[in-house]
Amino acid sequence: MHRYIGRRLLGLPLVILMVSILVFTLTRIGGTPIGPYLEPGMTDEEIAALEERFNLDEPLPMQYVAWLGGVVRGELGWSAVAAAPVVDVFRQRIPASFELGAFAALWAVTLGIGLGTFAARRRNRMGDQIAGVVAVGGASMPAFWLGIILLIVFWSYLGWFPHGRSDSVIWNSLPHPTNFYTIDAILAGNLNALRDALWHLVLPALTLGYAAVGIVTRMMRSSLLDEMGKDYVDAARARGLPENLVVRRHARRNAFIPTITVIGLSIGIMFEGTVVVETIFGWPGLGNWMADSVLSGDQGTTLAFVIFTSILFVSLNLAVDVLYGYLDRRVVLRRT
Amino acid sequence: MGRRSIAWRILALSAVLSLVVGACGGEATDDTTDETSATDSTTSGETGGDVPNPDVLVVTVNDDVFNLDPAAVNGNDVGMDVILNVYDRLTAIAAEDGAVIPSLSTEVPSLENGLISADGLTYTFPLREDVVFSDGTDLTAEDVKYSWDRVVEMNLPEGQAQLFENVAETRVVDDHTFEVTLGAVDASFLAFLAAHPVASVVSQEAVEGNGGVVAGQPNEYMAQNMVGSGPYTLASWERSDRMNFDINPDYWGEPAHLPVRWELIVDSPATGLQAKEYDIVDISPTDVPSIEPIEHAVVDTSILDLQVLQIGMNMNIAEGALPAGDTIPLDFFQDVRVRQAFNYAFNYQGYIDGILGGLGGRGSFILPVEMYGYDPDAPIYPTDPAMAEQLFTEAGYWEDGFTISIASDQTHEGFTGAALTLKDSVEALNPNFHVNVNAVPEAQFDEILVTDPLPIAMWSYTSSQYSTPDAYLFDSALSDGRYGAVNSFVDGYSDPEAIDALVRSARTELDEDARLQILSEIQNVLYEEAMWIMPANEGAPSARGEWVTGHIENPMWPRPSQYWAIYDK
Repeated sequence: MHRYIGRRLLGLPLVILMVSILVFTLTRIGGTPIGPYLEPGMTDEEIAALEERFNLDEPLPMQYVAWLGGVVRGELGWSAVAAAPVVDVFRQRIPASFELGAFAALWAVTLGIGLGTFAARRRNRMGDQIAGVVAVGGASMPAFWLGIILLIVFWSYLGWFPHGRSDSVIWNSLPHPTNFYTIDAILAGNLNALRDALWHLVLPALTLGYAAVGIVTRMMRSSLLDEMGKDYVDAARARGLPENLVVRRHARRNAFIPTITVIGLSIGIMFEGTVVVETIFGWPGLGNWMADSVLSGDQGTTLAFVIFTSILFVSLNLAVDVLYGYLDRRVVLRRT
Repeated sequence: MGRRSIAWRILALSAVLSLVVGACGGEATDDTTDETSATDSTTSGETGGDVPNPDVLVVTVNDDVFNLDPAAVNGNDVGMDVILNVYDRLTAIAAEDGAVIPSLSTEVPSLENGLISADGLTYTFPLREDVVFSDGTDLTAEDVKYSWDRVVEMNLPEGQAQLFENVAETRVVDDHTFEVTLGAVDASFLAFLAAHPVASVVSQEAVEGNGGVVAGQPNEYMAQNMVGSGPYTLASWERSDRMNFDINPDYWGEPAHLPVRWELIVDSPATGLQAKEYDIVDISPTDVPSIEPIEHAVVDTSILDLQVLQIGMNMNIAEGALPAGDTIPLDFFQDVRVRQAFNYAFNYQGYIDGILGGLGGRGSFILPVEMYGYDPDAPIYPTDPAMAEQLFTEAGYWEDGFTISIASDQTHEGFTGAALTLKDSVEALNPNFHVNVNAVPEAQFDEILVTDPLPIAMWSYTSSQYSTPDAYLFDSALSDGRYGAVNSFVDGYSDPEAIDALVRSARTELDEDARLQILSEIQNVLYEEAMWIMPANEGAPSARGEWVTGHIENPMWPRPSQYWAIYDK
């Protein structure tokens, strides 16, 4: 297992390098890093001064080497959109996106697995049909539409839930060692802040996670049905085990194997959905920032984000594979 | 019970608890006993009479702040609004009537009070002696000189250093007397100082302690931090989310009523105003129909924007530069009949009623309706298809027709809307006329307009917002101005030297009556030359909660509101 993980980790820098070369080249060909600073009517001299500031007078490979050198030193450049070093903005925004993603994934996975199990045990009965409707709803409702509807109903008219990530006064009263609002509130022992953090998470997490609910539910249901038709389950029943125990301890564990792959994929796709959800809910995360950066031609930020997502996806795949190996020992033995 | 079973139960319980705790948190905002945290909005279900967020003024902007440095902020950055409220300038604009009034200077220089020299070139500013920066240091004439000099020395392409090109020399006479000598007489100089962020006074000590001044290089500290002397201080900035401003306790003037919170990039101002989360919202004309029905909203549509929508025509077309498919000759727009024909063809009322939702007016060539010097009697082009046909025929394009492309910045519906209106108007004249609209993202549009030669025949955009009429003229009318140089106005004007001389005289004429006459004459001349199509002066609606008091609609103020200090609840 350790050798397997080690092999995968060793390959990570190479993957990142190849992705960075590709993305750097494409962004330079498709635009210019001085894009956010350009204004109609600028003179040739002003444009030349900007190009000199960003080393655009150097050959493309030298520009890449200079950029890579900065990355190695931890300098990801300046974000024109955020008017701050890219590293600083990442540090502020990653926790916001992760916090939202974590809560979205938590409720999506919990509900998806629970609903999938519920549906499988009531196959072709009313419960199964209801679970199917909930699942299809998640797969068919666009996140931007769902988010706007939830905002209009629960924020604008009913006033039950707030917009954004935090109450400004409560947020400013709290130290933020981690920039995770929930964790910072717990560390500070501030129940009011924790309540504020969770309350602001409800609508965006619900919106972001709902699409994954459908996928996980359907996968869990079909996997569990598949397992429950196997001989070892019949054998467990024949030994007199209660049905709950048969499902939970035997069938469901094996049903997790394909489901976890889907969960990993869904979480990755969910991350892409943060752009829309963060924009609608005014959530100050990475997705929101990325959307602005891409539209403004802020290449420094875009490049840093691509590197970050590359690392994230590769790490997620590795985590899924490791979990896979943990759940199914046969997988680990073959690979080592 | 197995470990895995326990783990799953804990996970499920945590999820349920999260939801329950979150559900209980919705009423916490009204339960707090902390006086300073009484900023959460009242629910929309409560009866009227409650003032939402009583201790803070919440203002939304539908854009992001890119820079807080007066030396680096560009003309379209909402950071300009922040600079105008946190930093001071030598003069200011009066709220009620737009007159230039003293600010850091105790008097507005004039020939009468002797603070402008007889030749009109030297201005003397006696400074207030009780002004301190937010870091506690005193503001002196040295800081004023330093602030202006650093803009010129840094000379950032993205900044506005060119606005100081007429400043020949700055001098510190003593700690509280500052003097400036201009290269040429400028009738708009004092108004420029009052309303433009580039003339803001920063703390020399703060800048020198944080990167100093480096020619051609931005100052990262100043881009993110503010040490000003104005009615507000920057308390915090959560990028692309919100900015918080505290009342400056050491402000030399009338203190502000409320601290301010700016909510950035708010796409749904109507929803937030409905929920009473926002006090003043930044809206465009297309937002008005969704906001007017809100019972506690006050919408003002009386003011027109100071940015003028413009469609440019390229008089400097290079061989092979235009998109494939364009069939116009290189000198197409050098023929004034062609330019006038396009002006007659455009459906102005259709554009205002359709794209702008009825919120717009017709400015002149080139001044917006609300600008000093605008002549309401100056001629403007009506929609006249017959006249357009006649001119196209005289110019020789009616029979064969043409295909032409127009680029637009797709970030604002007014820009692409104008391009599409032009397409419909021109194509309706003659089936042989074809207009291709290329709506592109802002970054790409900006790149197009700085490419030399221009790779496009026409473009739909807007002027910048200025505080003086000659700024509009220098930008959009002077043959060697920002647009004139790129578009080669010299090849389009009937007499470029005479027109340039007339435009320059509008800046140097100090007698007000004579100046107004010159501005009127310019607007008549530019009408004949038709170097642009002027679709409209877009409306500048404002919306606020009915509980906001002290609100003044001053057309000279950029949206969403310039001086927050005067607002209360």
